[in-house]
Amino acid sequence: MKKIQLGEFEEVVLLTVGVLHGNAYGITIKDEIEQRLDRDVTVGALQVTLRRLESKGFLKSKQGESTESRRGRPKLFFEITAYGKKALTYTKETRDELWNALPKLVLKLNS
Amino acid sequence: MKRTEPPRLLLRLLKSFCKPEYHADIEGDLLELYEAREAEAGRTRANVLLLKDILFLFRPGIIRPTTIHPITNNGMIGSYFKMGWRSLLKNKLYSTLNVTGLTFGIVCFLLIGLYVHDELTFDHQHSNKDRIYRVVSAEENPNNGPTVVAAAGYMLAEESPNAIPEIEMTTRMQRAGRANLVDPENPINVQETITIGDGNFLQVFDFPLIEGDRKTALKEPNSIVITEDLAMRIFKRTDVLNKNLQFSHMPTPLKITGILKDHPHNSTFNFTSVISESTLYHEEWFKEEIENDWSSTGFTVYALLKPDVHAPTVAQKMTSLAIAHAELEPGTVLSFMLQPLKDVHLRSEGIADGARNANVESIPQGNPLYVTVFSFAGIFVLLIAGINYTNLTTARASSRIKEIGVRKTIGAVRGNLVRQFLVESLITTALAFLVAVLIVNLLLPPFNDFVDKQFSLFTGASLRFWAIAVALVIAIGLLSGGYAALLLSRFNPVALLKGLKMRSVSDFSVRKVLVVFQFTVSTVMIIGTIVLLMQVRFLNNTSLGFDKDLMLVIDVNVAKARTNFEWVKAEMAKVPAVQQVSVTSRVPGEWKTFRRVKAKQEGSAGDHQIAYVIGADKDFLSVYDIQLLTGRNFQHENDTSAILINETAAKLLGITDVGNQVIDIPMIARNNFFVPIYDDVNASFKPQVVGIVKDFHFQSLRDKIQPMIIAYNENPIQSIDYYSVKIAPHDIQGTLDKLKAIMVTNDEHEPFEYHFLDDQLALFYIEDQRSQTILSWIAMASVFIACLGLFGLATYSAEQRLKEIGMRKVLGATVISLISLLSKDFVKLVFAACCIAFPIAWWGASRWLAGYAYHIDVAWWVFALAGMLATGIALLTVSYQAIRAALVNPVKILKSE
Repeated sequence: MKKIQLGEFEEVVLLTVGVLHGNAYGITIKDEIEQRLDRDVTVGALQVTLRRLESKGFLKSKQGESTESRRGRPKLFFEITAYGKKALTYTKETRDELWNALPKLVLKLNS
Repeated sequence: MKRTEPPRLLLRLLKSFCKPEYHADIEGDLLELYEAREAEAGRTRANVLLLKDILFLFRPGIIRPTTIHPITNNGMIGSYFKMGWRSLLKNKLYSTLNVTGLTFGIVCFLLIGLYVHDELTFDHQHSNKDRIYRVVSAEENPNNGPTVVAAAGYMLAEESPNAIPEIEMTTRMQRAGRANLVDPENPINVQETITIGDGNFLQVFDFPLIEGDRKTALKEPNSIVITEDLAMRIFKRTDVLNKNLQFSHMPTPLKITGILKDHPHNSTFNFTSVISESTLYHEEWFKEEIENDWSSTGFTVYALLKPDVHAPTVAQKMTSLAIAHAELEPGTVLSFMLQPLKDVHLRSEGIADGARNANVESIPQGNPLYVTVFSFAGIFVLLIAGINYTNLTTARASSRIKEIGVRKTIGAVRGNLVRQFLVESLITTALAFLVAVLIVNLLLPPFNDFVDKQFSLFTGASLRFWAIAVALVIAIGLLSGGYAALLLSRFNPVALLKGLKMRSVSDFSVRKVLVVFQFTVSTVMIIGTIVLLMQVRFLNNTSLGFDKDLMLVIDVNVAKARTNFEWVKAEMAKVPAVQQVSVTSRVPGEWKTFRRVKAKQEGSAGDHQIAYVIGADKDFLSVYDIQLLTGRNFQHENDTSAILINETAAKLLGITDVGNQVIDIPMIARNNFFVPIYDDVNASFKPQVVGIVKDFHFQSLRDKIQPMIIAYNENPIQSIDYYSVKIAPHDIQGTLDKLKAIMVTNDEHEPFEYHFLDDQLALFYIEDQRSQTILSWIAMASVFIACLGLFGLATYSAEQRLKEIGMRKVLGATVISLISLLSKDFVKLVFAACCIAFPIAWWGASRWLAGYAYHIDVAWWVFALAGMLATGIALLTVSYQAIRAALVNPVKILKSE
């Protein structure tokens, strides 16, 4: 299997899309990340990441309805693909492996 | 509820760079955010955040790739060139008009550009040019009014680098006089200026050395560095390092320690040799002179500052340094300025060239006024040529309606059309540029002769000059094509193809404005040329109050020519062609400095006044044909205490009638400062006034006639320096040979330097003469170019109105009425241009003439003449087409429809 590499922000975005399940478009993703993780997200950074994830095949998008406040501009809903799920699992597994390998003592010392 | 709209501009900005496939939903997100933020934090805050978001969206991944339209690919560029070329070939008349006009414009522009570039790059050869400054001292004391001289004292130059950390190095230079410089092994007399420079001279400046070591060449005593040109003149070869040379007045020979390349023509330095200053260090008088010399003006001092140093601050420090050490007379105000080396040529007005002996010519100054006038003239000519193109292209737009319409229908977007028209205009400009470069290359040799410079397009002109020239030509191409391109690509294809017509009023008025502009510039130039021409003629033809024709002036260069002058005069008088001979200290119209003195009538109240002095013998008045108004001339050898004065001096000194009034002359100017004549400060020269002569212009006509005292040839102020020989007009070369023989018999070291006084006087105005000729060519070129444009417009408008003319003729219009119908519009424009041009020209001409104490008045008829010229030429141009159109048989025009 080709190496799957997810950046930190990519992972966050991918997870958030999953969390929002079915209601993930620009604004909601942004709000969700800002609320849960207490960090600022610019539209530019988010959009670039979304498109990159889409082009890598981790996300797929489909146009949805519009609202009055969007002046007829459609929402673009994102959804995690199977490959995206695999990527998340893989990332989590590798992290877990590392965690497991970490001697308990180190954590105690550093805390 | 009405929602507030976010600024359209911001959304448009987003649209301009965002990938189209992403744009819709991103904009949707932003709009949604905007509304939320506006409700929460207000409009302004929402706007700022929106802007921030959009700016952060400007990143790879969101920005769209550059190509958008499928047709706009690189393949079209070839097509643009092909189409442009075809359309040029299709309209040969208009293309020729365009290319000719632009060629003329560019030729003028390039020639003027070379001249201006040369003037602006004086002394740019030195790598430290931005850090080299000339020290200028300004002094005012009870004896002297404010005096500004480009010179300073020895100690100031010596100590400044030690005391002021911002100064890296200084160098001193003096021009000590003129003397014979000879090769002791093969003595041929060559009269040269003696320039003395200290050890740093070649390090501050990088005059290129062919041979010798820059660091040590001027260190040792008795060293001399000479230029290639001088080496060729003396030795006939340049490999003369370590050979000896000797100045006739110096006891020891000098060793050549370096050979310099000749100065480029745009250098303010014109020395041919430099002696090391250390040669003088053992001389008692020099030691005395430099000891405690903080405030004299005996040296030209250049300072090399450290990088990024504020020059005025350094000057301030130099001033304080000098004042702290100098022993100044009470009441003296002394200060120093630092003048950038680059400003020496053009911005030295009011700064006297100091540290030179009175018989050394001051360095020639450029005239910033002419540089400005020429720069403007050059740019305007180019503009006029560009306007031609714009006007002709937009005027002929309707003939290209079909083409534009079809192109648009097939799918050309506006950008394609704009680019096509721009390429077309660039082809025209490039063509004109190539032809212009060829023509300039041919014109350069005569042009160089004329302006007395050595320009060459390919070797001399720097890369920067070419970069600027090419950039300007491209700019002109884009500008002149740009308006037409934008205008022509704007129309709606359906309207174009349906009616095959376009009416655009605004476009016509733009064209009118441009024509008026062209003729305004041309008329101003015509008036400028006429005024210059008249003033130069006035300068050359004004009676100077003395006889300058066939006057041979021979320099006194050897001691014996001065002491033994009675014998020389007598011998010269024996030559048949010689009519009269006189010896004088200076001659009228001479370029070397006239001595100035302070004088007043003895016993009278009031201050001493400044007057100029010439020492002359009793033949002076008759040789120069200067009129004696009252009193008597010098009569005999004992007249040493007699003086003549001119009318201005008489008025100034308050002398109305000659009655042996005694004049008190205590002070004389040396190095621009007045010092006592005699060692005893209280003594003064007290001659008697024996006669008053009519005023004569002994200086250039730029200056008012100054008070002049003519002292006898033996006087304490200045000894004789010239023989003035009035000769007969036949066999001038023979006469010269005989005179030379006499001078050489008198002293075998005689180099026999001479010139004719009228030539010398013409040098005063040579710059004006040149400018007048250049300006008249520019004026002609601009009128010609403007007329080319007018011709094109007239041709086109006559073509357009052929049917109308046919009808009018059928209905009984006369040829005259038709001609006036067609010409009237254009002539009106030229009239309007004249109205604008007159005040501008009047203002400019008055300002220029104000620089001359004696000048013509700008008469009304100059304007009338210029106006008539402009109108006349325009009318001729237009009426040719008008007459042709009016004479066509109406049947031919009308039957086809």
